[in-house]
Amino acid sequence: MPASLNIKINGIEMNAKQDQTVLQLLNDSSIEIPQVCFHPSLGAIETCDTCIVSVNGEFVRSCSTKIKDGDVIDTVDPDVKQAQTIAMDKILFNHELYCTVCDYNNGGCEIHNTVKAMKINHQSIPFDQKPYEKDESHPFYRYDPDQCILCGRCVEACQDVQVTETLTIDWERQRPRVIWDKDVPINESSCVSCGHCSTVCPCNAMMEKGMEGEAGFLTGIAKNTLRPMIEITKNVETGYGSILAISDMEAAMREEKIKKTKTVCTYCGVGCSFDVWTKGREILKVEPQAEAPANGISTCVKGKFGWDFVNNEERLTKPLIREGDSFREAEWDEALDLITRKFSEIKEQHGPDAMSFITSSKCTNEESYLMQKLGRAVIGTNNIDNCSRYCQTPATVGLFRTVGYGGDAGSIEDIKNSELVLIIGSNTSESHPVLSTRVKRSQKLNGQKVIVADLREHEMAERSDLFVRPRAGTDMVWLSAITKYIIDQGWADEKFLQEKVNGLEEFVSNLEKYTLKFAEETTGISIDNLIKMAEMIHEANSVSALWAMGVTQHLGGSDTSTAISNLLLVTGNYAKPGAGAYPLRGHNNVQGAGDFGSSPDNLPGYQKVSDPDVRKKFEKAWGVKLPEKAGLNNHEMVEGIHEGQLKAMYLKGEDMGLVDSNINYVQAAFEKLDFFVVQDIFLSRTAEFADVVLPASPSLEKEGTFTNTERRIQRLYQAFEPLGDSKPDWQIIIEVANRLGAGWTYTHPSEIMAEAAKLMPLYAGVTYERLEGYKSLQWPVAEDGTDSPLLYTESFPFPDGKARLYPVDWTPALEFPIEYDIHVNNGRLLEHFHEGNMTYKSKGISSKTPEVFLEVSPDLAKERGLKDGTLVRLTSPYGNVKVKCHITDRVKGKEVYLPMNDRGEAAINLLTSSYADKDTDTPAYKETKVKLEILSEEGSNPLPRINHRYGNPQPQIGVNVQKKWARKDYIFPGEMVKKERKQHG
Amino acid sequence: MAKAINNIKRFELSPEDKRQKDLEEVENALIDNKESILELLTAVGHMHDRGILSLLNGLFGQGDKVLNVLVKAVDKPEATNTIKNLLLMVGTLGTINVQQLEPLLLKLNSGVARVAEYKETDEKTSYFDLVKALKDPEVNRAVTLLITFLKGMGEDTSAMERNTQLPEDQKMHKMEKSERDVPPNKRE
Repeated sequence: MPASLNIKINGIEMNAKQDQTVLQLLNDSSIEIPQVCFHPSLGAIETCDTCIVSVNGEFVRSCSTKIKDGDVIDTVDPDVKQAQTIAMDKILFNHELYCTVCDYNNGGCEIHNTVKAMKINHQSIPFDQKPYEKDESHPFYRYDPDQCILCGRCVEACQDVQVTETLTIDWERQRPRVIWDKDVPINESSCVSCGHCSTVCPCNAMMEKGMEGEAGFLTGIAKNTLRPMIEITKNVETGYGSILAISDMEAAMREEKIKKTKTVCTYCGVGCSFDVWTKGREILKVEPQAEAPANGISTCVKGKFGWDFVNNEERLTKPLIREGDSFREAEWDEALDLITRKFSEIKEQHGPDAMSFITSSKCTNEESYLMQKLGRAVIGTNNIDNCSRYCQTPATVGLFRTVGYGGDAGSIEDIKNSELVLIIGSNTSESHPVLSTRVKRSQKLNGQKVIVADLREHEMAERSDLFVRPRAGTDMVWLSAITKYIIDQGWADEKFLQEKVNGLEEFVSNLEKYTLKFAEETTGISIDNLIKMAEMIHEANSVSALWAMGVTQHLGGSDTSTAISNLLLVTGNYAKPGAGAYPLRGHNNVQGAGDFGSSPDNLPGYQKVSDPDVRKKFEKAWGVKLPEKAGLNNHEMVEGIHEGQLKAMYLKGEDMGLVDSNINYVQAAFEKLDFFVVQDIFLSRTAEFADVVLPASPSLEKEGTFTNTERRIQRLYQAFEPLGDSKPDWQIIIEVANRLGAGWTYTHPSEIMAEAAKLMPLYAGVTYERLEGYKSLQWPVAEDGTDSPLLYTESFPFPDGKARLYPVDWTPALEFPIEYDIHVNNGRLLEHFHEGNMTYKSKGISSKTPEVFLEVSPDLAKERGLKDGTLVRLTSPYGNVKVKCHITDRVKGKEVYLPMNDRGEAAINLLTSSYADKDTDTPAYKETKVKLEILSEEGSNPLPRINHRYGNPQPQIGVNVQKKWARKDYIFPGEMVKKERKQHG
Repeated sequence: MAKAINNIKRFELSPEDKRQKDLEEVENALIDNKESILELLTAVGHMHDRGILSLLNGLFGQGDKVLNVLVKAVDKPEATNTIKNLLLMVGTLGTINVQQLEPLLLKLNSGVARVAEYKETDEKTSYFDLVKALKDPEVNRAVTLLITFLKGMGEDTSAMERNTQLPEDQKMHKMEKSERDVPPNKRE
């Protein structure tokens, strides 16, 4: 039991917990201490020296000093104050105080606030400019060396939180500064534009460009006027105390024009939340908050800077109605009347099952709920699906088979704390950037081990402790082989299996065929590596398995997901912190769309439509008779249209005509629809086939909730009014439904959630009040509001409370005729989202990554005579694409990688087939082979030199403060005070 | 058969319709804010009468230029000193106890009144006259007051100066722990 420590602070005796720093204790006891470089999310950086206190008579930095029993701490002694003042003086030597005309004067400036709190009125070392220009090369943020106090927060964040390792401080120079890579302009470095540096900067040195000249009342003035203005401010400011009051006043006035709204990011399933600062319709910056449950202070380029699309002129602002060979803008009444008439006609003529509804994993939970309710309760069909069919439904099936809940077993916190992270078929650092930083940090600093199994040597693979490259579509085999090896070695968690798991015997006998030798032959992974993996899993006290589309988008995607879960069960890696299965959800609300019944066989809460009791419950609540037969999934819908039984479709927020596989076939189906309604923020490729297009509002223009990959439910608030005549999806669906006679009376999304929560045991205790601000809940949520960050701790949700080992067999990948000799891997890029409708609208992102490119290995390039910029045609049996090459060793041999971010001639799904996972119909995107021909040998490199992929990261731990301390001109302020004291007796 | 199309016939308002719509919007705003707008108009009338409007027009019309001139004018030692002095004076004014000052000021006033009545003559005051004057109760009261004042003025107040003191030298931090009734390091 940890004993509490007896200590004395400023003469007062008190008890303190073990394992904390002096600064932590002081902050917790509300004793105010200057702390300029300290950031709660970064920890002690030790560069600023302003937090000096006296402990047992010695001057120490309180941020890095652990409390010991019997410590006597003094924070108010004049000598302590003097040491702190000396430290602050050195900071002010590096930072010009012109607060009132500074864009960072928003109440959060650490320097301003510290000067005020310390009652500093003048500085003894005057400010001196540094011999460096401002670096404004980067599209999203700029660095002003003259304002930089060299606290190192940005370096700490870049090196050890984001772990891109671009920033360092060069302590060797006469005047140190922050440098990028080996001192190149920001825009030519390995910087991935994640924005951590500008988020943690305590002042205006590293600042988002959106803020520049916008935030203050006087900051937008012309440059030649600004300089004298700064001089005035400075001259007047020698007695800081009184003038700080004026800048405080100005800062307070800014609150009037700057609106800060909490929102949840829509660019992936991690579920980052942050404040958006807006002025009118302009976005000044995105400001992450330490209290954000999934991401804390972290963001990626898309979340931090990728919101330009909201005000893009291509946004739809009025309903569109097809008329001949063009769309005509129309008023809502006309569009809704047309929809009502057509829907009623088709339902009457062909029955409800001639209609289909596609909801969106990008929209809110409430909107998915209404969409499926419209289909089921108003129209009377279960033909409802969403795009998680394209990505993670197989993972959900794998988990339902084995452990009972279709969601991540724990939280991102568990992944961070895991001893071993097993990443399979996931390009985590590009697809789930913020989540990957937790793994990168734990591995870099805390001894976490990482195994990566992937075709491509992406960043996680490069960083891993063990990287294996299985042949495409063979993961299930090596997973089963190491499971078998672990059981054979007697390394299985016998106790866990006996107490908590069923079906061991049958499972073991099914594993017979998965010998190491068979696995080596099938997967290409050496027996040595297979054994090494098994050993690493065996040795780790906790294993988290992360997987994504590399696993699920295969013919046997559900089975491979099942095999992962089986392995975790055999090794007892469920129901404890740091362990479990983590199918990383691709979009912001893949989890939520599934939770809220966006599928042909489940009502909200994964309650089967085939279950009469379930139907009765919903029928009672909704006051209608519900269809009993499961509906069509989106794959079957496309078939249904081709076969002529499906006549109409209402689709929102999905670009199915691009992101479904074999899109030539899908688009041909759209052409055959009698009536097609698409609801989106842009005229997407899919919308081009519509009869009516309805203008929707994106996340920043509405309220609602999203559920992230951790099953975490979070609220988003409205930052802007809907643009033009666009409307939030939930309002549009209500209008459609009510015209069809539904009589819905919801006036706010909270009312929709209240209704849904009553019907969904998983969400029983979810209310908007419990989700206020940054509060969140992880389902299942009990009625009293207790949530479940870690699943299965009591039992597994099966009748006997036990998990199930579920035997599965391997499905070999699709066979292609021999001339299709190149395997096309495909997926995401860090900086673009999906087909790029939103992110290409960002000038900054487009300048660094303007177009899609084909990653080709040096071997293949040599064999075929390909260069950077060579235009090639790839032809599969289903279609062809034209794309420019980029030669890189991220890929190997006859394996190429085509990112999915194109809506034109390079759209990957022109190549993919209609083959799909045998259990879920998830398209086998990853099983695509092509032949390659050169169209034009010479061409411009599709990846410009200013792309971060060309950079040279400079890994180190933290900011290397030891180098600062080693400088000849550095004396610890505590030493200076001591010396002075001696001199003056 | 619905082929993909991507050209949009934008909903073009005819100039008249657009004007009509804008007018309606303005009209509504006017009606909604009737009281304040009427009041504002009265104020604007006054501003016009006094020539303030044309002044403001010049100011805002040439905003950047005017600001530049203004800023350059202010960016001179005298001007910044004035602002600085003002700020310091404001701070110091706040420390004056007017209740104590009032009697002193009244006395000062009556002194000044006497001096105003005083006529320039060749009359000189000898030491003897001085001692004699001390017997005058009015003069004696004044001298006693002055001596007390001089004593107070001689007191060391440097510790209270905010303009020149380092934080660790400020009075607040010098006091013994027991003297401080509110620890300065507590959050308010």
